[in-house]
Amino acid sequence: MSSREVGRGGAASWRSTTALGRALVVGGLGIGMAVLTGEPAIVVLVAPFVTLAALSLVHRPGRDPVLNSRLDHLTLREGVGTTSRLSVTGAEDAELLVRITGQPPYVVARPHGGRVGRLLDGPPPEVEISPRRWGRRMLGAERVALYSPWAGYRFGPVALGGQWTRVLPVTAPYDSRAEAPQPLGLVGAHRSRRTGSGTELSGIRPFQPGDRLRRVNWRVSLRTGDLHVVTTRAEEDTGVLLVLDALADHGVSDGVDGAASSLDLGVRAASAIAEHHVRQGDRVALRVVGRGREQVGYGAGARHLRRIQDRLATVRVGDAGEPDTGVLQLGVTGGAVVVVLSPMLAESVGTVAATLTRRGVAVLVVDTLPADARPDLPEGADPELAALAWRMRMLERAVVLDRLAALGCPVVAWRGPGTVDDVLRRLARRAQLPRVVGR
Amino acid sequence: MTPRVPGIEPSDWARSQLVLRALMLLGPVAALLASGPTGHAAPWWLVGVVAALAGVWAWYTDVPFGAAPLLVVIGWWAAALGSTTSAWLLVAAAALLVAHVAAVLASYGPPAMPVDRAVTRLWVRRGALVLLTAPVAWGAARALRDQPEQPGIWVLGVAVACVATLIATAALRTDQEER
Repeated sequence: MSSREVGRGGAASWRSTTALGRALVVGGLGIGMAVLTGEPAIVVLVAPFVTLAALSLVHRPGRDPVLNSRLDHLTLREGVGTTSRLSVTGAEDAELLVRITGQPPYVVARPHGGRVGRLLDGPPPEVEISPRRWGRRMLGAERVALYSPWAGYRFGPVALGGQWTRVLPVTAPYDSRAEAPQPLGLVGAHRSRRTGSGTELSGIRPFQPGDRLRRVNWRVSLRTGDLHVVTTRAEEDTGVLLVLDALADHGVSDGVDGAASSLDLGVRAASAIAEHHVRQGDRVALRVVGRGREQVGYGAGARHLRRIQDRLATVRVGDAGEPDTGVLQLGVTGGAVVVVLSPMLAESVGTVAATLTRRGVAVLVVDTLPADARPDLPEGADPELAALAWRMRMLERAVVLDRLAALGCPVVAWRGPGTVDDVLRRLARRAQLPRVVGR
Repeated sequence: MTPRVPGIEPSDWARSQLVLRALMLLGPVAALLASGPTGHAAPWWLVGVVAALAGVWAWYTDVPFGAAPLLVVIGWWAAALGSTTSAWLLVAAAALLVAHVAAVLASYGPPAMPVDRAVTRLWVRRGALVLLTAPVAWGAARALRDQPEQPGIWVLGVAVACVATLIATAALRTDQEER
């Protein structure tokens, strides 16, 4: 995470304030009235204004300050904050500095919402900024003004441009001890169906030429009179394809510390599952079904995980406009586990999950629809009609989920750590059994 | 869903800003009502007009319109008192100055920005310092009340005020440089 200058003050100049104008008008007109009418009472009333105006005029600034702002960090996770620092040079004539930070959606600032005015008797005030939701966020945009002593003149407000920042989804606490159903790779942590040079006991069989002597089980060999060796199961990695449904965002999103929409749950769950499997040495790929059609191929390692999280941060909601009349092409490879993160309200997503399950691919659907999700009503829509349509949609969704379950595709709601443990174990057990699959 | 942006509704205004705007509203009204004890109570319609003007000023702090309620109050005092120099003039001067200083503080930022305590303390000191000119002018007016008007007395008064301002400024600048 590096800091970068995000804004530089443009052309601005010192201008008189309305306070100075008011003091001049009241003081000048008052003195004028007093001279014309010869009434000393008016002088008593306007004497403070005359003094204020005179002091303001005497403190007229002579130099134009130069303003620069920068953020401490340009890559952030949702809920994590950074500091916007302002450097001011040539502000010897200024007395007070005011910073008004922009208020884009899902961004909070401290202190006082990023609105702060302080005397310039020390370093300029700092503003802490924290994005509360993943995505692309404009951070650090602000307007800065300086005031001369006695508030007679104001420099600015100067608009300092911000920086578009990718806010990565928060790493939800997630861990799984379940094995991958169909490990089919090179070196990894999952027990394979075939025997190999792992540590997990597979069985004991008679010695064959080529077996290593250190695998001879002497107790069995002495008892039977023939040499026997211990066989172990190979340990392999697996491929995990994360399919994120971004066709629509259902529910309310209040940021990382509030209510989560369906896309919030999907993005955060995808990030957590990807991180878990990458740490286990598995190959992880991402396919977003949405307007942006973001895609990341199979890969492993911390850099690949960062690439996936970067893609997740740029997910855009909207219709994918998939070719081939709505049939999704996910590019599933053999031995991969497909994790579909979806509210399951789109027909195409249900269809592809069912198709892959029929082909014998291990598919797991994580249901991301919030319990309190309600449809977004367009202006002028009949609420009763919309509620009826939503109930019908929920019934159709229940039918789709039942059919998927009947096909052997487990559907689980995202609950954080351990969400997919049980279903992955069952998928792993089922993968050991011979079966006939459709082609 | 896009969350509501704070700072637009009056409920989002900082408490210090509400206090300052209340002072802007009440200052001119109090200055007008201070003429009552002198036997020249302002009519209620004029109080209403000043309150309305001050209310608009308190809502839009950073507008040139803010001089209007102050000038109305000063005009009323000039018309009502004539050449008398009541001590209630000082109350009216203080009330007008409080409203002006409150407007200065309120116009430093948007309504949702609270005013820094150090800035408030600085302006309280400044206000008290500047207000000293009112009793000085009041004393001079009382001293000269029964004297026959000298030619050029007003010019001399303005010249003295300017010199006093320059001296005060020089003193303040030296004070700031030392800091």
